[in-house]
Amino acid sequence: MSVKNNFKIGLSIRNLIIFATLFLCINNISAAEGGSCKDYGECDEFKYSLNDMASLQRGASTFLNYCYGCHSLQYSRWGRVATDLQIPEELFFENLVFDKSIKPGDLMTGSMSKEKSAQWFGVAPPDLTLVSRVRGDDWIYSYLRAYYEDSSKQYGVNNLVYPGTAMPNVLLALQGNQKLVCKDIPIIANNGGEKRDELGNTITKEKCGYLKVEEGSGKLTKDEFDELIYDLTNFLVYVGEPAKATRERIGWYVIFYFLIFTALSALLYREYHKDYH
Amino acid sequence: MQEKDNTRRKVLIGLTSAVGLSGIPFAATPFIAAWNPSAKAKAAGASVKLDVSKMQYGQQIQVAWRKQPVFIIRHTKESLQSLELTLPKLADPDSNQIDEPYKGINPTRSKSAEYTVIAGVCTHLGCSPKYHPEVEPKPWDASWAGGFFCPCHGSMFDMVGRVYKGVPAPTNLPVPPHFFKGSILTIGEDGGMT
Amino acid sequence: MSEMVGKLFGWVNRRLPIANTFERHLSKHPVPSKVNFWYLFGALASVVLIIQIVSGIWLIMPYSNTEEEAFSSIEYIMRDVDYGWVIRYMHTTGASMFFAVVYLHMFRGLLYGSYQKPKELVWIFGCAIYLAMMAEGFLGYVLPYGQMSYWGAQVIISLFGAIPYIGESLELWVRGDYYISGITVSRFFALHVVALPLVLIALVFLHLVALHEVGAGNPEGVDIEEYLDDDGVPLDSVPFFPYKVLNALVGIGVFMTVFAIIMFFFPEGGGYFIEMANFEEANPLVTPEHIAPVWYYSPYYAMLRAVPDKLGGLIVMGSAVAILFVVPWLDRSKVASIRYKGIYSKVALAFFGISFLTLGYLGTVGVTEVRKTMSVICTAIYFAFFLLMPFYTKYEKTKEVPKRL
Repeated sequence: MSVKNNFKIGLSIRNLIIFATLFLCINNISAAEGGSCKDYGECDEFKYSLNDMASLQRGASTFLNYCYGCHSLQYSRWGRVATDLQIPEELFFENLVFDKSIKPGDLMTGSMSKEKSAQWFGVAPPDLTLVSRVRGDDWIYSYLRAYYEDSSKQYGVNNLVYPGTAMPNVLLALQGNQKLVCKDIPIIANNGGEKRDELGNTITKEKCGYLKVEEGSGKLTKDEFDELIYDLTNFLVYVGEPAKATRERIGWYVIFYFLIFTALSALLYREYHKDYH
Repeated sequence: MQEKDNTRRKVLIGLTSAVGLSGIPFAATPFIAAWNPSAKAKAAGASVKLDVSKMQYGQQIQVAWRKQPVFIIRHTKESLQSLELTLPKLADPDSNQIDEPYKGINPTRSKSAEYTVIAGVCTHLGCSPKYHPEVEPKPWDASWAGGFFCPCHGSMFDMVGRVYKGVPAPTNLPVPPHFFKGSILTIGEDGGMT
Repeated sequence: MSEMVGKLFGWVNRRLPIANTFERHLSKHPVPSKVNFWYLFGALASVVLIIQIVSGIWLIMPYSNTEEEAFSSIEYIMRDVDYGWVIRYMHTTGASMFFAVVYLHMFRGLLYGSYQKPKELVWIFGCAIYLAMMAEGFLGYVLPYGQMSYWGAQVIISLFGAIPYIGESLELWVRGDYYISGITVSRFFALHVVALPLVLIALVFLHLVALHEVGAGNPEGVDIEEYLDDDGVPLDSVPFFPYKVLNALVGIGVFMTVFAIIMFFFPEGGGYFIEMANFEEANPLVTPEHIAPVWYYSPYYAMLRAVPDKLGGLIVMGSAVAILFVVPWLDRSKVASIRYKGIYSKVALAFFGISFLTLGYLGTVGVTEVRKTMSVICTAIYFAFFLLMPFYTKYEKTKEVPKRL
């Protein structure tokens, strides 16, 4: 193809893409909104690992011990969870399923009646099967770690990610008392560096709204608690779409197949293309 | 040169078609598998439990397992002894022609010496046979010694569901997987022991 | 044996023009010998159509079209049916890919003047297919009965309310209830799986028949029928089989790779293909915080929001689609392809493309003052592109089109 020809196409297509990108950038800049986690700012990033069975098993155990009392997983079946998480069925039903009349094929419809729970909490605790798909895993991971002491609320706690949440902090005993504190942070100068006074000391200002756990008030350290929430979130990602790990595994084979098919048909096309060029 | 070109062409055609065709079974898999019983159907078709100790001797009851009738019969001593009488009339008294799960354990064909558990669906065309335990002449058999008679096409079975000779039904009524735990009968599960 | 088959074929062929049709429209059908990748999207659209029909049939089987069970039947498909998730993601990805492919196909038409005489009907059938697809996509999106299904349908059905005099009763009539209920879902289901697919298939058939009558175009805008060989076959053409087929096969391979990447790794498309709020069951009492249509409607949605009047918005949105139908009569240029058109056409098309993409973006985000202004500007550019077309195409300096490809 001649250079001239290239230019002709370039004018209509390439420039168009460049212009479009520019436009979108401008839009994005003008679009600065608050973070997706409300008062918390941007949510903490969560990276699921659906092949980490130990993590999923711990997450399932945390869920069934602390959450399942109020929250159902109504589209999920007990036996499927045991199978997918590679927990031997006997062990699973002995240790994690508290209602002995439950059969492996049953749905995890919860142990609490909707009307009763609505009376207790003002709203019925939502079903959590799809919570990771509605809210996103980043959100759950941030939310469960963003409770803080607030005596003005019914349960004495509030949440930065979901201000005014109706759910008490069920994991309080594990996490400990988390409070909002103020910190001295360096002021960032216009050039991007820290602002300093004449003596070279960093100038700081007080900023509030930071989460801090009262030391020794919880059973777990901060890292241990974060890991507990990681596992729990990971489990909720699994429950949101049990086929996800399988999907991603099969995906590689399918893509590989179509790449080979494309390569072969391209070779064949080139071969036949010789006929008329 | 021309000859060589053609070989390359043929090889490429062969390879591309082979790869293309090999994809068809994989593409068809989800569509075929989607017709299997779903997890919901499997859950609904899981085992049924019932207490059989309240049954009277000689009584037959019907329970639904996978929405299909299953017959449970609590035999009297007499009816078990009468099994001998009908033996010459049976087509396959030892259930050699079907996959008999608990073969040779009990004359009842079940895991218990007292109860018979059989699928209540005629092996001919799927009607449900009727229970006629009385030892008395019947319109369909003058020397009837008790058993099952199918009203649809006249197939006859003995008290434990074995098919008579010369009737349309080809095989004995099958025995579903089951086990007893005390007086609790579970149908649809083997209980781990055979 | 082969003699028997031959006889049988002869018997049928005497009564049904199989061999003739096959040769005329497939094996020997002449296509331009030199086209570029823009000419692949038609073939790709038919591939997606087949994917949608097959996966759609399989989704009908486990789906339940009642208010109580619609939402949970989707989760039933995703979890309880063996490989149900494959079939559903195939269909959702297919929907987005269908629009992506058709948008590119339509842009190809604008780029190379694929609507010019004598291809007006091909273009018009194409526009009708696009319209039917928009209806089909909308109806299908309501079926899972999630929050976005419900509120999306609420917004669109409310548009009927903008029609003077009959609006409100029309809304009620379409819903068949005082809210979007089971009967609405059930109606949309019937239309989505029977009525509109029939219309779509009929239109695709007409689109192809018309195309084969006038012959496919090429990026140069050269009329290949001018120079024929002794058998009356255009000199600058190749037979459909194997040349065009192989060409399409490469395109299908690349396309299916992209399709598989999305389907297996990004089925939600970051919330653009399946919106996050649609994983929550419809709740007529709570509107989600942010309502946006699926990406393929968003340009029109942005236009709707750019107009501060309900009826006006509806008219603008409707005209934006309707104006496509008359493009063949708006273009007064002597040449078909953008390669030989003048600078005005090139600038106009570039501005049109940018404004359409920008509208697409604006339709997916919340409204701010700046964005609203931009929507107005872009909507104006969108219409200016068409309405000024008779002038800039007529009075610009075009280049000489070569005689041969």
